[in-house]
Amino acid sequence: MKIEKKIHPKDTMSSEERIQAAVNLQTPDRVPVAPLFYYFVANYNNMSFAELYDPVKYFNGLSCVFDELGPWDAHYFVNAYDKELIAFVIPMKLLEPGEELPENTMRQFLEAEIMTPDDYEWIIEEASKIRSLAYARLVIERLIPRIWPDAVPRGWKAYKAMIPLITRNTLLLKREIERWRKRGVTPLHQFAFEAAFDTFSLARGLIEFSKDLSRYPDKVIKASDALTESYAFLIKATCRILKVKRAEIFVHRSSNDFISPRQFMKFSLPSLKTLVEKLAQDGISSILHCDGNWDLNLELMREFPAGRVVMQCDGTSDIFKAKEIIGDRVCIYGDVPANLLALGSPAQVDEYCHRLIEQVGKGGGFILGSGCELAPNAKPENVKVMMQSVVKYGYYTQSKE
Amino acid sequence: MSDEIATLIAELEESKTLEAIRKSLREGEDPVVLIESLRKGMETVGERFEKKEYFLSELIMSAEIFKQGVALIEPHLKTTEEKPSKTVVIGTVKGDIHDIGKNIVATMLRCVGFNVSDLGVDVDPRAFAEEARKAGECIVALSGLLTVAFDSMKETVSAIEEAGLREKVKIMIGGGAVNEKVLEYSKADAYGRNAMDAVRIARDLL
Repeated sequence: MKIEKKIHPKDTMSSEERIQAAVNLQTPDRVPVAPLFYYFVANYNNMSFAELYDPVKYFNGLSCVFDELGPWDAHYFVNAYDKELIAFVIPMKLLEPGEELPENTMRQFLEAEIMTPDDYEWIIEEASKIRSLAYARLVIERLIPRIWPDAVPRGWKAYKAMIPLITRNTLLLKREIERWRKRGVTPLHQFAFEAAFDTFSLARGLIEFSKDLSRYPDKVIKASDALTESYAFLIKATCRILKVKRAEIFVHRSSNDFISPRQFMKFSLPSLKTLVEKLAQDGISSILHCDGNWDLNLELMREFPAGRVVMQCDGTSDIFKAKEIIGDRVCIYGDVPANLLALGSPAQVDEYCHRLIEQVGKGGGFILGSGCELAPNAKPENVKVMMQSVVKYGYYTQSKE
Repeated sequence: MSDEIATLIAELEESKTLEAIRKSLREGEDPVVLIESLRKGMETVGERFEKKEYFLSELIMSAEIFKQGVALIEPHLKTTEEKPSKTVVIGTVKGDIHDIGKNIVATMLRCVGFNVSDLGVDVDPRAFAEEARKAGECIVALSGLLTVAFDSMKETVSAIEEAGLREKVKIMIGGGAVNEKVLEYSKADAYGRNAMDAVRIARDLL
C-alpha cells in the first residue's frame, strides 16, 4: 500500500519518501523522526509491561502516544508478540515482567552460555549443507530450545513449536504495519535480526565469548561467514513479506565498549559487510542498530556501500563526529539519550534536538530518533518536544538550503 | 622470569603465562613474587586500556589469565599476616539484575588489591547501608544498566545518609546510561564509564 497521507501540514513528501531519501543520503522535505517505543507505551497508558505482548493493547497504547505526543514518520517496532522469537534479536535467557519479575519491571537478559564452542563447528559443518537456512537452523534448532527447554524441543521437533509462532507474528506485524501505513506512518524495517558475530557474543555470554576471540579466533570468523548467506536469504524474504526495503540489523556487541577496532575489523566487519552488500544488490538498505560507543569503528564503516547503510546511535557514540567522518556515505540516525529524556527539561531536549537537526541533519542523510529505545520513564513533555523539533527546526526548504 | 610473566599476561598469552608460572613454581620461585608479577602485568593491561590499545574483551581475557594464574600459585602461598586492604562494597541496585559490568569492575578491583564485598544484583538500599556499616571506611559502588536504576541509586545514597554513614563512605556509580546528569541526580560522589575508570576512581576516593 502506497502512503499518501502527509503527517504535518507543511510536508511535501510522504513519510516513506522522507525516510528513504534520508537513507539514500538525499535531502528530504524535512528531517524525519522515528523513535523506538516499547515500555514507554505501557507507562504512558497505565498498562502493565506484560500487556505489551497483547498486540491489540500495544497498538491502542501506541496510537494514544501517537495522537497525544506524535506524530512520527516511521513505525519502529519490537518484533515479538511471543517471547520465544526474541532470540532472533537477543539470543539469551530472559526474565519476564509478570512472570519471573514483578509486573512493572522491564524484561532483563541473563548472561548465560546458550551456545557452546562446539556450535561453531556445527555451524561450519552444517551450514555448508544448506547455506540459506543455516542461521534459522542455529536459532530454531539449537538456541531457542536451550533458552526455552520446556516450551520448545530440540532439533527438528523445534519447528513444530516455532512455525506457528513465526506465522502468527508475521501476520500480526503485517496487519500492524498496514494500519500504521493508513495513518501516514511507514514501517522502518522488516523483521529484525542480530548479526552473526553479535549473536555469538550474546549467546556465548560476554565472558566466554571474549575468551573465544583469543582461544579460537578462526572458528568465530568461519562460523560468521558460514551464516551470511542465510541472513541475506531471511532478510530478503521478510522484506518481501512486509513490503519494506530496509533491514534492521542489530549489532549489540560490536561497539568499542566490547571489542577493539582491530577486533571489529577482524571478526565483525567482514561478514557484516558481505551481508550489507548482498542486501544492497537487491535494493535493500541496512539499518545497523549500533548500541554503545562506535567512535573508533567509524573510519572502518566507510567500507560499506555509500547510501545503503544507516548508523543508528544510542547516545553513546559521538553522533556529531559520526556525521563528520561517515556522513557522506552513511545515513546517521539518533540519538536523543535516555537520560536526557528521563531526567532533562523540555528546554534541554529542545536544545539537543535543535543541535542534532542543524549539525547532523545538515544536507540530509539524517533521521532523528531516540537513543535506542525511548526511555521507559521519559517525561511525556520531553517526548512531545522531541517530536515537535522536526517541525520547528527540521524543514530543509526553510532553513537549510 | 617474574618480568616475563608480567609481559606474558600483558600480551594476553594464556597458555604461555600459565606455563611460565608452573615452571617458576617448580624452580622454587617465591609465590608472592609471582603474584606480584601477575599484578604488574595487570597494571600494564590497565594502562593499555586507558590508552585505548586494549578494550573490554582484552580486559576480560587478562582477568581470566590472572584468575587461572592465582589458582596455580595459591596452594604454594604460606599464610601470612597481611595488612587489611581497603574495602569496596559493590552491587547492582534494586530493580536491576544486570551483573556483567558489576562483575568486571569487581574483578578488576580485586586484581589491583581491593577487598571487594559483592552483594550481587537487585540489592536493596538498606543492604548496601548495612554492609557499608560493617566495612567501616569504605567505598560503595553502585551498578545499573537500566534507566530505572537512577532512582534506586538515589535511594541507596539516601539510605546510606540516613544510616549516618555518609561521612565515612564514598559512593561511586557506573553502568550503561550513567553520566554527569545521573551523578548529580543520585548525589553520589563520582561516576565511571568503564572498569578502569572504576579502579582509578576507587584509588582517588580513598
